[in-house]
Amino acid sequence: MSLDTAFMGQVFKLTLQGVPVTLKIVLVALIISLPIGFLFALIRIYQVKVLSPLVRLYVSFVRGTPIIAQILIVYSAFPSFLAQFIGKTAFNIDPIIYAYIVFALNSVATLTEVFRSALQTVDKGQLEAGLLVGMTPAQTFLRVILPQALISALPNITNTTLYLIKNSSLAFIMSVKDITAVAKTQAAFSYNFLEAYLVVWVYYLVIAYVAEFLFSTLTHYFSRYLVAEPNKNWFQRLFSFRQPNTAVTNTQAKRAQFIAKEVNHVNN
Amino acid sequence: MLTISHLKKRFGQRTILEDIDLTVHQGDVITLIGPSGSGKTTFLRIITTLEQADGGHIQFAGIDKDFADLTKRDIQTIRRNVGFVFQNYNLFNNKTVLQNVTEGLIVAQKRSKAAAKAIAVSALAKVGLADFQDYYPSQLSGGQAQRVGIARAIALNPKVIFFDEPTSALDPELVTDVLQVMRQLAAEGMTMVVITHQMSFARDVSNQVIFMADGHVIEKGQPSQLFTTPKVSRTKQFLAEILATV
Ligand SMILES: Nc1ncnc2c1ncn2[C@@H]1O[C@H](COP(=O)(O)OP(=O)(O)OP(=O)(O)O)[C@@H](O)[C@H]1O
Ligand SMILES: [Mg+2]
Repeated sequence: MSLDTAFMGQVFKLTLQGVPVTLKIVLVALIISLPIGFLFALIRIYQVKVLSPLVRLYVSFVRGTPIIAQILIVYSAFPSFLAQFIGKTAFNIDPIIYAYIVFALNSVATLTEVFRSALQTVDKGQLEAGLLVGMTPAQTFLRVILPQALISALPNITNTTLYLIKNSSLAFIMSVKDITAVAKTQAAFSYNFLEAYLVVWVYYLVIAYVAEFLFSTLTHYFSRYLVAEPNKNWFQRLFSFRQPNTAVTNTQAKRAQFIAKEVNHVNN
Repeated sequence: MLTISHLKKRFGQRTILEDIDLTVHQGDVITLIGPSGSGKTTFLRIITTLEQADGGHIQFAGIDKDFADLTKRDIQTIRRNVGFVFQNYNLFNNKTVLQNVTEGLIVAQKRSKAAAKAIAVSALAKVGLADFQDYYPSQLSGGQAQRVGIARAIALNPKVIFFDEPTSALDPELVTDVLQVMRQLAAEGMTMVVITHQMSFARDVSNQVIFMADGHVIEKGQPSQLFTTPKVSRTKQFLAEILATV
């Protein structure tokens, strides 16, 4: 078997058009879902009447169905739903809008759980300490609890982003011209499927790698106070590409160790 | 200065505190002793509003009310006039040692950064941690962390500081430093209420010892009296047990 490298180069150039589309889907979905996920997490933690069970239902509904089913539902239901209000123009909406909606809706569910568990990892004792130095609950939350929760959420936000990058490749179903869609079209023209898909593979690898690097830099910067994190320089971090799962376990293991130490102290 | 009367607390059906009274005068060092589960922590948590009472009265910082009638404002007043040193420190993990101490001064007491820093630096010097300002809590030993906890409390210049077993989470060799700081505070006239299992501290430093068991105050008195000639057999028994294990 030999690869048609000239064709690969050609696909590589053409597929470049799809990169901004993929990035837009990922970024817009994140920008929408991060604040909503955070809000939903607060609703769950403070058990806000009526809303809390609704959020819970939503989360389990999204997590319990394959993303492809969610895409198909939104893509088939939304236009006709919108058509009732704005008429036929609903069918001319740029399909990328639907991609934004699906992937944002999907990430909201994951991020709700991410923020919820992150907020719960911060020891309630620090809240009490804040109250007894005279701060209000809101001040303590903003200055002490929230910053720690956000940092401990970062590894899982990284994971969510990586899944989002990979899942966004399903946008071609909604005829969005992202990386995958462009490459598929090229492949179909020439029957050079393997070459086209290898190009796709490389693109996603690079994007995921860059995302991982950015998040690890961010995590590194903000978790100075955890110290347990070894002081890697940017060069070392550049070459420590991790799979999503280990990204979680690393920091969580440290946190678990930290908490175990605390508990030990208390029990003694 | 602080008077609590007829304090009651239940958790579910269980009565945890029954008719507890406490009077604290300016400059008092009162130690609370008693077996595990006798309600000592709960008692201090109620006085400092971290827990709600099921009955009783409080007189403190211009407030003279039943616990049930405390308004949000009263609660804030109480919180701004007490200090609390926790068993497991409860330092703000995302803040440096200096920030741990300045946080309440800046945010709650609305002092300028410079003024807060000056106060914090002298409080840290007092607990022997002048050189640790820029450390984070995770870089401190237990004994150092607890001394930061004490500095955080004294910097706010509260009317009274409550200590909940401040040394019981520490390795034995670190206990001395913390106790030394507390002795010094007592000598300077700080009003303190201390839950402790360190009988030597109770005997040497406090002017009143309160022995609690099963949610009741069993006996209280001056340490010279209570430790040598306890009146109640339950106290005798507790002291015999605890002194045997030391
Ligand atoms: N939030 C709570 N819910 C239910 N029960 C509680 C709660 N907090 C404390 N208790 C119970 O109240 C009783 C008194 O607890 P407390 O912590 O005040 O005792 P303590 O004298 O401080 O004991 P120790 O010396 O072990 O610290 C215990 O039986 C405990 O199980
Ligand atoms: Mg206790």
